[in-house]
Amino acid sequence: MLPQAPDSWTIFEAAHLLNRAGFGGNPDEIKALHALGRSKAVDSLLNPTEPIGAIPMPAWANREQAIEDMRERGKQFIETQRATQGMSAAEAEKTRQQSFKTAQIENRQHGIEGQGWWFRAMLTTKAPLREKMTLFWHDHFASSIQKVKLPPLMMLQNDLFRRHALGNFRALTHEIAKDPAMMLYLDTQTSKKDQPNENFAREVMELFTLGEGHYTEQDIHEAARAFTGYQLNRMQGSVFHNRFQWDDGDKTVFGKTGKFDGDDVINLIFDQPQAAKLMAGKLWEYFAAEDPPTAAVEALANSFREAKYEIAPLLREIFLSKEFYAPDVMRNQVKSPIQFLVQLLKQLDLQEAPQGYTLVAQQQLGQVLFMPPNVAGWDWGKAWINTSTLLTRYNVAGFITKGAQEAPGLVASNDDMMMQDGEMMDESAPNPAPSGQQFQLFRKNASDEQMANGRAAAARFWKGPDYDKVVPRELRNRHEDLIDTLGFRFFQAPLPEAHRKRFLAFAEEKAGVIFTNHEIAELIHLMLSTPDYQLC
Amino acid sequence: MKTRRDFLRSTLLGASASWTVPMFVDQTFAQLHNTSKDLAVQGVTGKDGPILVVVQLAGGNDGLNTLVPFGDDAYHKARPRLAKSEKDIIKLSDYCGLNSAMPWLGSQFKEGDLSIIQGVGYPNPNRSHFVSTSIWETADPSNHSNTGWLGRYFDNACPGADPTVGISFNKTQPESFGAINNPGICLSSPELYRWIHSGGDKVMAEEFFDDLNRPDGENDAPAEGGSIAMPAGGKTGGVKGESNLAFLERVALDARVSSAKILEIAAKHKSKAEYDGSPLSRSLNLVGRMIAGGLPTRVFYVSHGGFDTHNNQDGTHERLLQQLDASLKSFMADLKEQGNADRVVVMTFSEFGRRVNENASGGTDHGQGSCLFVLGQPVKGGLAGKHPSLTDLSQGDLKFTTDFRGIYATVLENWLKTPSKPILKGNFEKLGFMG
Repeated sequence: MLPQAPDSWTIFEAAHLLNRAGFGGNPDEIKALHALGRSKAVDSLLNPTEPIGAIPMPAWANREQAIEDMRERGKQFIETQRATQGMSAAEAEKTRQQSFKTAQIENRQHGIEGQGWWFRAMLTTKAPLREKMTLFWHDHFASSIQKVKLPPLMMLQNDLFRRHALGNFRALTHEIAKDPAMMLYLDTQTSKKDQPNENFAREVMELFTLGEGHYTEQDIHEAARAFTGYQLNRMQGSVFHNRFQWDDGDKTVFGKTGKFDGDDVINLIFDQPQAAKLMAGKLWEYFAAEDPPTAAVEALANSFREAKYEIAPLLREIFLSKEFYAPDVMRNQVKSPIQFLVQLLKQLDLQEAPQGYTLVAQQQLGQVLFMPPNVAGWDWGKAWINTSTLLTRYNVAGFITKGAQEAPGLVASNDDMMMQDGEMMDESAPNPAPSGQQFQLFRKNASDEQMANGRAAAARFWKGPDYDKVVPRELRNRHEDLIDTLGFRFFQAPLPEAHRKRFLAFAEEKAGVIFTNHEIAELIHLMLSTPDYQLC
Repeated sequence: MKTRRDFLRSTLLGASASWTVPMFVDQTFAQLHNTSKDLAVQGVTGKDGPILVVVQLAGGNDGLNTLVPFGDDAYHKARPRLAKSEKDIIKLSDYCGLNSAMPWLGSQFKEGDLSIIQGVGYPNPNRSHFVSTSIWETADPSNHSNTGWLGRYFDNACPGADPTVGISFNKTQPESFGAINNPGICLSSPELYRWIHSGGDKVMAEEFFDDLNRPDGENDAPAEGGSIAMPAGGKTGGVKGESNLAFLERVALDARVSSAKILEIAAKHKSKAEYDGSPLSRSLNLVGRMIAGGLPTRVFYVSHGGFDTHNNQDGTHERLLQQLDASLKSFMADLKEQGNADRVVVMTFSEFGRRVNENASGGTDHGQGSCLFVLGQPVKGGLAGKHPSLTDLSQGDLKFTTDFRGIYATVLENWLKTPSKPILKGNFEKLGFMG
């Protein structure tokens, strides 16, 4: 058990908890959390009253609807096959292209809707820790829509993460092995008795549970045999165990021998003490700080093992620990692009983001929801920042604070984004037959461009925050109070004296007879255009 | 002559003349200056060093209709609709010729400035755009590396270089620039690579901005090695032991300095050569202006997209090749005009070639091995490598004859003059195209 902090706490500590265990909040939200006292505040985050599903997903992402849609597509596919019989090769191909086009457009539209839905859920939820942990699992058990291609399966996986957000690590690992999106992403789907595919078996040990150096190549080899036989019914989004494709021979994993299947292997993994250690360290890094001290990780791993891999007690221990509120932990985390965007909007009392804009911003800042770069997830911390992403953060802050009238928007990239250009999304299966392309998505076509233009148009009308509410008029004549109030809103800590002086000088220079919304926006943009603001 | 130190210093001062350069910055530049007295460093960071321009042909370029094996019956058989006949090409040998959409490149071949490397690929090819692009950019066929081959070049061979050592004109940073210390910079246009105030009193606001984005000389000294000479970022990011804030301040300083330099050069240098309006031409035009302006950049990276020609390839593919031809022609004319033509080598790459057989939609699907171009006065032109067989195939695809890492090794050692082993993590057989 880590040494615990006392129940009484400062408002800065409350803000720190809300930043890390959620996506931050405005001063009122911070004050409300502070009033609860440390331990009750942590409990309120761990036991949210908002039920899962309070923010309903788009209808197509609902399991029954998704199955229905996929069945419908299957039917259309068979009809197309039938219709093309007797046609010339070129005519048949043309007909097929026509029929796939509808599905492709729909998939792209759904992919964008799904991303937008999750982003808004993070912004508006009353259960921020659950959302923050959902993002953690998405990064930890990474799958990308770029390979999975079917938006409903990504949303089913997202729902799985949310249901297990504060649940049990071991149970979630069992579930993820049979998750349709993960099966497509790590090729479990194509792992057969005669040709076991080692992809999932390797990653489940290397990245998901134990870490490099805590298994042998032989363990992976044998485990891959155990993971054969799981098959996905794409038309139903369901997974079944095909005993005829399962290697039912003896396998030896971690020195134990038996006719193991996938679940058995996962159980063997969780008998390894290391399974608790990797996760304890990773959660500490996600919520608190990089390079956790070995002793702290050992202590957390012990608690985690004793709690049988339950996540909530582990998080409780972290959030109540003295170390979590240490000076070198507080305000020393580089915000991820998602954290940066959501927190910025929350600090400005915004309940919604300019449509489409946040998606392009995610791309240019280097973190697009549902698109982690590879199975290892995103690189966090300093890796988010380079000269280009830092300037983009400053300019995104300019657009959000000043509105589309004043600030330039972002230019959507056409090189590697599914939203702007389908070509790079269009992955051929190695199978040369055109029928193998039935699930190719995201092809470029005219209506996609119209869609992108529609989103750009929506961002053009962005007006910026309601400054009459965010910065009351009566505050604007008292410059010192103004700077300190805004300082708390955006930095949740006393401003370094040098910066405070500069902001104050700017306010003095700016303010005429009245401090207009315009000038307030300029002041705030300047405050956000700093290295400091990239930390939380 | 102005030294680089003077240049940086004047740019910094120029950006906000009323503020004195903090002690720290001054010291750092002094150190930088001392380091660059070392000849080896001078060589890689100076204004007269060799330059590599990488042109990505994104989407998988159809090598067989780029360098056309018109003399092979199997080619005509495999592509009844798409095959080019002898009259459609610029004949380079009795076996193959260049697609006639590239007349200028054809003339360069004849002048000996264009090397075409045939059958380029890697073992166990991957047909996914993303994975295969990543393999080319990281030079790691196992696709595990989180640094890129050019980023490793910056880290290994260009110590003390500022971030403009590598510039990509893309909206997102190419994976090949991924680095531990110096990932170069990436921008879509100079006008957007800056802090945009968009409000009243621009000059005053920018002064405040500059002041807020400068490491605080009085309060915190930079961490060991933390300076503009050890720039920021990379996928794994940062100097060991450096605090997050010190790191961010360093990147902010790098951003301001590189932004000011690039804006200044972009404003000052206009090309005398004429470029057409294609996106690739616009990018190469910018590269030309940056070279003319004397940036110490060693590697530029630009992209030319749209090569994923699954259907109705005829026409589309020619248009793309024609744009490549026209923009490279303008770019080389530009360099000649500047007197920099002997300093620049251009290399193209694409994540894969296309299948030998055309498909039923008049297009081609993802394949393996393809050809690539290396262009420039310093290049020893001609056909390099062996053209792959069109009958001895692997799952309908060409079998590669040249490992792409051998091309990287040649460029690194014979052009950028640096050992390739630490960068490519292995020894690869070099080719003869750099003499």
